[in-house]
Amino acid sequence: MKMALETEYSPDADRIMAVSLGPQHPGAGHFRIRLWLDGDYVVKALPDAGYVHRGEEKMGEYRNYIQNVPHLERPVILDSSNILFAYSLGVDELMNSKIPSRGQYLRVIMSEINRIISHMYFIAIQGLFLGHTTMITWCMGDRDFWIDLGERIAGARVTFAYIIPGGVRNDIPEFAIEKGLRTCDWFEKRMDEYEKIFYDNPMVHQRSDGVGVLSREEAVAFGATGTVARASGLALDVRKDEPYSSYQDFEFKTPVLTQGDSWARAYVALLDMRESVKIIRQALKRLPQGPVRLKLGPQPRVPAGEAYSRTEAARGEMSYYIVSDGSPRPYRLKIGVPSAKNLRALPHLLRNVHVADIPVIYWSLNYWPVEADR
Amino acid sequence: MVVAERQKAGTFQVLVGKIDEVLQYAIGDPLRYLANWGRLYSLWPVHLETACCSVEVGAAAGSRFDIERFGTLEAFGSLRACDLIIVMGTVTRKLAPRLKLIYDQMAEPKWVIAMGACSITGGLYFDSYNVLRGIDDIIPVDVYVPGCPPRAEALIQGIVLLQEKIRRMPTLSGR
Repeated sequence: MKMALETEYSPDADRIMAVSLGPQHPGAGHFRIRLWLDGDYVVKALPDAGYVHRGEEKMGEYRNYIQNVPHLERPVILDSSNILFAYSLGVDELMNSKIPSRGQYLRVIMSEINRIISHMYFIAIQGLFLGHTTMITWCMGDRDFWIDLGERIAGARVTFAYIIPGGVRNDIPEFAIEKGLRTCDWFEKRMDEYEKIFYDNPMVHQRSDGVGVLSREEAVAFGATGTVARASGLALDVRKDEPYSSYQDFEFKTPVLTQGDSWARAYVALLDMRESVKIIRQALKRLPQGPVRLKLGPQPRVPAGEAYSRTEAARGEMSYYIVSDGSPRPYRLKIGVPSAKNLRALPHLLRNVHVADIPVIYWSLNYWPVEADR
Repeated sequence: MVVAERQKAGTFQVLVGKIDEVLQYAIGDPLRYLANWGRLYSLWPVHLETACCSVEVGAAAGSRFDIERFGTLEAFGSLRACDLIIVMGTVTRKLAPRLKLIYDQMAEPKWVIAMGACSITGGLYFDSYNVLRGIDDIIPVDVYVPGCPPRAEALIQGIVLLQEKIRRMPTLSGR
């Protein structure tokens, strides 16, 4: 298989035009793609990331383990619980702490709520890029019901900072359980409407079927994760492969599609949300009693050692590698983010496509530049 | 003789000044008011997402908060047609020259909203090696919207404050 970076082109050929797409563009905020075009076709595309590199990993080295919580959720603000989930699992592993089961369940509830919030944003913008205005107005509005639920539980609007080393920050209020169950019931009906108006829409099919096809072999070669891998027929799901926290207690499936095109990558998100609703409902109904967190104090002492932890975030596998030398601050903090893994497929997918297909393919990778740049 | 002519010319200039003043009151002020009134309810923002606050801008443009009620349109592609930059969060060293370039390309009059703690002071990333401590070193800012990220209501309040500023703008040509 030939990768996109190896394709030969000659910049001297007068047919080829070099164009810069971004960083200011209605299809690629804080991200640039350098394009070489032959008429309406893309000859070569090189992504230029790094516009939002904020040095999270270096900053992690001069803050202690609790102070690291707020800034580590900012890279992927849509999915703030899942990125903290992986960090907390790593610190818990280093400290050898046993999290109470109510805390485990609340972690799962919050991370699934965040998965829905993230996917709703994803399909809303996918609808916008496909010229389907209904989807952005519906999804952006409905997403706020889930944000409200998260706000009732955690107290903040999008940056929940709920999952922390040692458990969760506070207990769930009683009325939030009832509200959560009601939101689940309403949302399942709502997702049927999404299928009717968006996924079964002939216009959407025409514009995204067979656009940006990533085959199963290519997905393996590029190391794709999450929605991108599952749309290409790879049943990758850390929740199933290596159950962390209390995921082994719940019944859910890993949705897998085989088309590998932009439509499938958007549809996997909807199937994911159906499973998330199932998990949230089971967890809210079977929520055990007891404490929700361990008492760690403001500056926990973490024994020397190293830990690798991973979770299934909305975009794919989120991993942390934490090295501790026994001091209050981490010696090294390495974040492995799914967006950066999926970006590798972009130069390959943007080859020999029409310019009009670029936004659809770009966004269907569920790429979030802030997360990829860290 | 010369003095009398000078006095005559002086009175003429005073007369011209008076007419100018009268015209200013009669035409200039209503014209300025009309132009500003037209500007303040059709703010076209540049689509420049710099960091994570763009999520809250998306929520504000969504059907729940619906920022269009207040006269701010959806983000638009062409810089020449835009008159508002909402700087949505952190500006890094790589993005800063681009931000200046984008601001310079826009036509006058133009306004800037600095949204989020990062674009005001650097926020949480004040000690990061790659983050600017506030954007007011590179472009002038009209309204600061604090928060990390600011809620959608806070952004709407920022827009309303900016409209208040535009309503009181003293000259017809902007700044």
